[in-house]
Parts: sequence; C-alpha cells; structure tokens
Amino acid sequence: MGVSLPTVPTGEASFLTTRLDVVVNWARQNSMWPMPFGTACCAIEMMATAATKYDLARFGMERMSFSPRQADLLICAGRVAYKMAPVLRRIWDQMPQPKWSISMGACASSGGVFDVYSMVQGIDTIIPVDVYVPGCPPRPEGLIYGILMIHEKVKGESLANADLREEDPSRVGLPNLAAGVIDELARPYGNSTTQNRVSGLVDTAALSRPSDRKP
Amino acid sequence: MADRNLEDAVAGLEAGPASPAAEEPQSGDSADAASHPSVAALRATFGDAVLHHAIMAGDEHVVRLKLDRVVEILTWLKDDPAQRYDLLADLTAVDWGGGRPLDLVYQLWSIPHRRALRVKASVSNADPLADTVSGLWKTADWLEREVWDMYGIRFRGHPDMRRILMPEGYAEGHPLRKDFPLRGRFSRAEQTRRALSIPVEEHYSERELSVIDEVHEHHPGREQGGGAG
Repeated sequence: MGVSLPTVPTGEASFLTTRLDVVVNWARQNSMWPMPFGTACCAIEMMATAATKYDLARFGMERMSFSPRQADLLICAGRVAYKMAPVLRRIWDQMPQPKWSISMGACASSGGVFDVYSMVQGIDTIIPVDVYVPGCPPRPEGLIYGILMIHEKVKGESLANADLREEDPSRVGLPNLAAGVIDELARPYGNSTTQNRVSGLVDTAALSRPSDRKP
Repeated sequence: MADRNLEDAVAGLEAGPASPAAEEPQSGDSADAASHPSVAALRATFGDAVLHHAIMAGDEHVVRLKLDRVVEILTWLKDDPAQRYDLLADLTAVDWGGGRPLDLVYQLWSIPHRRALRVKASVSNADPLADTVSGLWKTADWLEREVWDMYGIRFRGHPDMRRILMPEGYAEGHPLRKDFPLRGRFSRAEQTRRALSIPVEEHYSERELSVIDEVHEHHPGREQGGGAG
C-alpha cells in the first residue's frame, strides 16, 4: 500500500516498537478483565473492591469475566483446597495470553493458618503468580494497590520480547514448581501447628501425644 | 468437666489400644429413664440392647445401643407412632484415640412430638463396620459417605459407598482419625502432584449426572433460560 515499514531484526526494540509498546500496554492496562476465583472471605473484600465505594471500574475492570477465555487477570481470593487445585490450574491454562495473576490474602499466598492435609500451601505451587497481596483478608485498598502493581508490570512489557508470553504446552496441568521446591516451601516456619503442639517449645494445653514432643 | 475430658483423651492417646475389658469413657451422668419417654419405651421394648443412658449438656438424652441391633431399633424409633423420629438431624462419629472403639452417633428429632434423642453405638477400631440406615432416612446416604470418608467406617448395604469430601482417589487414609497426621501422610510435593492429576470431568457419578437430566426433563425452562449471570 505504498507504506514501507522499517525492517528491524526481531528481538530488538526500535522507535516504532517502543511507541507501539506504549499504546498496547496502555490499552491492556486500562481494560484488564479480571477472572474472579473467589473461594473464601477474601472474595467478599474483592466484591467490596468492585462495588461503588472502591469502584474497580476506574481501572476499566468493572467487567468481571466469569469465563477464563475472556479474562486477563486471575484474582485468586481465598484458600484453595487440594480438591480445587486442578480446577484452578485448568482455569489458568484456559486463559489466553497475555495474562497475569494476583494471589490475594494469606491463604492463597502461603496456605495461611491452614497448614493441614487438605490445603494447598500457596497457589504459586499450582500457577505462576505476579503479585501477592498480604492480609487476612486484605482491605480493598490492598487489592487496588496490588492491581496498580500489575499495571506497573504491564507498562514494563515489550512486544519485542517475543518469548515473554510464550507458554510450554507440555507444562499444562502440571505443578508450577519442582517437587523439591514445593517441599522446601512447606517446611514448618512460623505458622505451624506442629511447632506449637509437638515441639514442646511452647507450653500449651492443646491435645497432642506427649511422647511426640522433643525432650 | 472439660478438663476431665481432655485428660481422658490425652490418657487415651498414650495408652494405646485398649483391652476389650476397658470400655470407652462413659461421660455424662447416668440418668433416670423415666425423664425421657422414648428412653423408657426403649428399655421396655428392647431391654438388654440398651446399654447405657445419660444426660449430657443439660437436657440432651444419650442412649448407647448394641451395634448389631441399631438398625432394628432405629426403624422402631422412626415408625412407632409414639416415637416418630422422622428427622435424622445428623449422623457422625467420634474417634477417642488410642485405638479405642469409635463412636457412631445418630442425632434424631421427632417433628410430631418435638423431641430429640441421641443414639450412640461403639464400632470396632480395627475393622469398623456398621449397617446402613440410608433405607430409613435418605439423608443418611451422604452422611454415611462423610463418616466413611473422614473416619473409615464402612456401611453394609450402602447404595453408593464413595468418598464425599476428599477427592475420589485420595490415598492417605481417613483424616479425622486420631492417628492421622495433621498434614497428611505424603509430602507436599506428592500431594500437589496427586491433586493436579485428579480427572476433573470424572468427578461426578453417572447417577448424579442423570439426576441433572431428570431436573431438565421436569423443568425444561432451565435448559434454555439459565444463562451465565
């Protein structure tokens, strides 16, 4: 059509691609459709965030996408049981690129107080996470701050970086982390019931086998 | 009272499997059968099958029965015109720890007579097996599945003895047993791997899916009308 675009080797930023990046990122950032994966009380705060007082529509996010195929941002709000883990992974796999994810609250980020047999110890063992929002539950301001951090992340992306948004099809439905890393992450740190009851380090009336306690 | 129960429970964890002679703790004050009309009638009708009667938490009448006669007696409690316990409010179990027998608990409510009765029976810890009451109360179907899932008590004659809370292929045991470790038996990595390999589509049985078909047959509007919100 008579317009000749300057030829640029792929993988390198040029004047044209950087300008295009700004436009594309601006568009992505201001019309990010969230996929709400609300499983517990964090979801109530997420709903409050979407309602009038905090008004997610300011960020172009009023359209909650209950279908993962039209969503850009997965907000996992609440604890995830192991029985729910394949569902979460499936939804993440069904979301098209570009996509981001927020782990909202202590339980989604680390298992929280639920250091038990039935609970996923942090959704980053299941799916990749971009932003962790701490709190139990986080206030709407916290979630909005997390969303603004996602915006910052979007602004930093470049179309020239071709493999940034590439997915490995062989990883579909598999854990996000290596087995050794998951075990390492699940070690009893601060919140562990084991630490309080069985270690004997803390005087407690909680029910336990005294023979399990450390001398 | 609460302290005594705690001490009992801790002692039970330490003691290991109890000898047959040592019965599980009989908490609650043994009570006058005349204070609850159903208990008096039970004693009169079934005699030695009624092992124990106590009042707990103020006015909660608890009757302990012989396990092999539970279904027969519950049938009578449901059908006898003077009893009419037509609502099974709850069916659950208790593990006292230390390999002692499990308690099977039936919480009954009689709508016509406005009367509650709790029925208990001891189940062997090593080979927990009881008869189903799902023929009496439909709700016992899922409640017994829950008891099987959480405590490992099997129910003879149950129409659909599958897990209900834990995933179908859960291989770590029955979580509410006292000898079950808080975090399960497998490593977190193994638990994650197994969780992600659950076939999500195969979660529902043919029967459950056919129930949905029946709903569509009887309420055809739901098929077209119910779009996503």
